[in-house]
Amino acid sequence: MVTGTRQNHENAPLAPTTGLVIDGVVLVRGMRVIQPALSHVIAPGRMSLLTGPNGSGKSTLLRAIAGRLRPIAGSISCAAPILYVGHADGLAASLSGRRNLGDWAGLNGLPVDAPGDAPGDAGMIDTALASFAAGPFADLPVRMLSRGQRRRLALARLALSPERALWLLDEPAAGLDRAAQADLDRLITAHLDRGGMVLAATHTPLGSGHDHDELALEAHP
Amino acid sequence: MTGRAMSATVITPLGAQIRRDIALGWRGRGQALVMLGFFLIIITLFPLATGPDAAQLRPIAIPVIWIAAMLASLAGFTRIFADDVRCGWVDQVALSPLPLALYALAKAVVHWALTALPMLVATPLMGLMLYLEPAGMPALLLALALGTMALTLLGLIGAALTEGARGGNGLLAVLVLPLAVPVLIFGVLASTPADGGIVTPHLMLLGAVLLVLLALAPLVAAMALAEAEAETGA
Amino acid sequence: MFDYLANPTRFMRLADWLLRPLALLATGLLAAGLYYGLLASPPDYQQGETVRIMYVHVPAAWLASLGYVALGLCGLFYVVWRHPLADVALRAMAPVGAMFAFLTLVTGAFWGKPMWGAWWVWDARLTSMLILFFFYLGVIALANGFDQPERGSRPAALLALVGMINVPIVKFSVDWWNTLHQPASLIRSGGVSIDPAMLTPLLLMLAGTHCYFAVIVILRMKSILAERRIMTMQLRRAATAMPPDGGTG
Repeated sequence: MVTGTRQNHENAPLAPTTGLVIDGVVLVRGMRVIQPALSHVIAPGRMSLLTGPNGSGKSTLLRAIAGRLRPIAGSISCAAPILYVGHADGLAASLSGRRNLGDWAGLNGLPVDAPGDAPGDAGMIDTALASFAAGPFADLPVRMLSRGQRRRLALARLALSPERALWLLDEPAAGLDRAAQADLDRLITAHLDRGGMVLAATHTPLGSGHDHDELALEAHP
Repeated sequence: MTGRAMSATVITPLGAQIRRDIALGWRGRGQALVMLGFFLIIITLFPLATGPDAAQLRPIAIPVIWIAAMLASLAGFTRIFADDVRCGWVDQVALSPLPLALYALAKAVVHWALTALPMLVATPLMGLMLYLEPAGMPALLLALALGTMALTLLGLIGAALTEGARGGNGLLAVLVLPLAVPVLIFGVLASTPADGGIVTPHLMLLGAVLLVLLALAPLVAAMALAEAEAETGA
Repeated sequence: MFDYLANPTRFMRLADWLLRPLALLATGLLAAGLYYGLLASPPDYQQGETVRIMYVHVPAAWLASLGYVALGLCGLFYVVWRHPLADVALRAMAPVGAMFAFLTLVTGAFWGKPMWGAWWVWDARLTSMLILFFFYLGVIALANGFDQPERGSRPAALLALVGMINVPIVKFSVDWWNTLHQPASLIRSGGVSIDPAMLTPLLLMLAGTHCYFAVIVILRMKSILAERRIMTMQLRRAATAMPPDGGTG
């Protein structure tokens, strides 16, 4: 039963990995240095919350760690595979949530063909959808969904690809209702228990079961 | 880019990306129809401008079809990456086992199939309306097929470079059209073979241009997309 | 804090040191070149006085082509090594190259009217120059096509790189097209053999325009850098004027 193995897999400990090391990173937006020298370490099994006022470079830092922009100085090293849920949800508006998730799984070489082709495959997507109670609206085109519903679909990737050790989450709880926040908490807690790492830019507390470090960015004029 | 210890090959991801693009293209097929309509209208305008005389239209038929194909293709290029960048899909591709260059190539192939192919299908009809000899069609179609592929690859470069820019279509045209000169020159020459044979030196030159672009365009597009931002602001 | 991009001091020092001698050299060479070219050299036995246009036309064409190679090199430096100065140089050079391409076209037209009897002839060299001019326009438009100016740097650099590969193909295709559509005898202009009396002013003008090109590019680079410093200073002031947790986008 594929769904069963899936569940086991999700709870199985991750392969041991090195942590994330941010060393003297300088972030620039436009011609402005927004962070002169950032250093931070996240060890396996740890979560750091990224806080700071608007414009302090939270999203920029996450994008830099995800490899989507090159910091002008300093180094970021992390051997672990990265799962990035950014500001943008990465969902095509004209496709259904299920289809979007299936495409993402296919893009990452997860053993999923077109949803519905084989019962087991559909089960994998369904499990991920169920982890955020996204099943009921999963077959509607994304353009018809609310902000929070889209967010839940984007976050369902967390349940789909458990072997990615480092989660980079940009305001993951934005637009989520209380139940979905609890779902997110549960997933983060399970991920940390398995030795995963989380770096989340957030204003709301996450992963209530775990203590966390805080990486507080200051506004640099 | 730091951690990508995924054992998956690129074949499954590439297939998923192509299937996704086909699905998206199919849902947005209205746009391809608009481009086809644009192609047909440009061609229709020429006889209205020059007069309906066959002796006047026949010699310019092939150039007219080529210019129409170029302009109509140009209308669709800005859309190639726009939605994927805006919705954050490119971020996900960048972290996936699929290299951005292959992603860009998949985009180009699907875009060509959905937009240029209908134009190719309509070309014989438009050729007849411009009094082109039916015997000349195969050469024209072959050259036009290669030419639109090369053009799509140039459009790929243009679309990736202008992603997030203000200028839109106009800017893209200014970038792409000067670089498309060889495609036009060799394409028109290859469409009018002097001695009956279809595979002329000009067709080979057109093919060579296509090969250069095939190697160049996905790489340049990938370099441009490597840091494309989904949204500006914090 | 703001010095990473905006203050390449070493370049400024070198540029300031170079600027004056280069400007003097350019003035001297151009003055001498113009004197020899316009007054002290004989008219051509075939082209008459119109040959003097060549003393502007040829250097302009030369610099338009050179500028495009330099543009490509700047693009390479920026894309591979991310040297911020390469971006500044690219932005400084593109309009200058475009101006020389335009000058080539205009002087070509002035020369073409008495020689060919038409302002414009679809000669291979003129046509390639026209397309090169369009290419310059593309680079300029792309570099300035973004709401945040610095976001145009990488695309413009990549385009300059693409041009480095593609523009020779364009040139080749235009030559090919030209030989097919026009008899070769019609497009002969100045041959390879050139009278020493004409060579002197031509070389003077070539050297002079190169110095002029360098001077203009350095001046433009300085002004672009100054502009950026002003912008960062304004940003800093805007940021410090705000309450500590105020957003600055």
